Amino acid sequence: MHIVKQLMAIPGVIAAGEFAYRGDRFSYEGALTDEFARMASILCRANTLSVHMQSEIFDSFAENCGCKPVQGWIVRGAKISVCAVGNYFCFIENRAELLNDVMTIMRAKVGDVRDDLLVNLYAAIGGDTQEALY
Amino acid sequence: MELDKLMQLPGAMAAFTYSDKGDLQEHVIREGTEITPQVLDLLAHSCVANQAVAAMEARGWEALTGQGGFEPLQGFSVVGMEWSVVVNGNCGVIARNRDVDYEATFNALQAD
Repeated sequence: MHIVKQLMAIPGVIAAGEFAYRGDRFSYEGALTDEFARMASILCRANTLSVHMQSEIFDSFAENCGCKPVQGWIVRGAKISVCAVGNYFCFIENRAELLNDVMTIMRAKVGDVRDDLLVNLYAAIGGDTQEALY
Repeated sequence: MELDKLMQLPGAMAAFTYSDKGDLQEHVIREGTEITPQVLDLLAHSCVANQAVAAMEARGWEALTGQGGFEPLQGFSVVGMEWSVVVNGNCGVIARNRDVDYEATFNALQAD
């Protein structure tokens, strides 16, 4: 079963989706409008790239310290949390054990994110990061 | 903040506190781990930055969408390859991914 459908089958999951390199390509299911899903995709992509940049800095000071490559991140709100693993995101209610379950499923289904996340995200929409800009 | 208590959380490798500016204040590192005080110091700065960004995003999201439930934020976590760092306020815990209990860790940081 596709990861988004699998996540949406869990009680307490509000929405789940997938975003691409530019953040303007996305797919989702759940209680979001198209516009809100677009915004969520851009936000998740920006945060993902930010924490990847941070892990590069940590790694330059302590090689193989265990942080790189970053697999994802979590924002814990008062009643809602947002989880991102690789290029998938999930909005969930703060129910007992739900966060742990969702993170376990996302890590298992997405698999280990490798160092070339940016390349993979761009390739997913047919892009080539080696392509000359001019 | 009782760092020794946080070190009892599942998978805990290190626990630390930091100032509002991100300067490392106190820390405990489990022996035999790859974590160094220098990594913790950098991590603490990134924790302050990430929490500030997350708070801005939460506030913006709530204002734009009308969807409540994010504020006040109760923490942020970065999931690395081997370990995750879970932070809230001025305190953080690094826990091994294979053992980490995100909910228990967020709850412990919220309680302290």
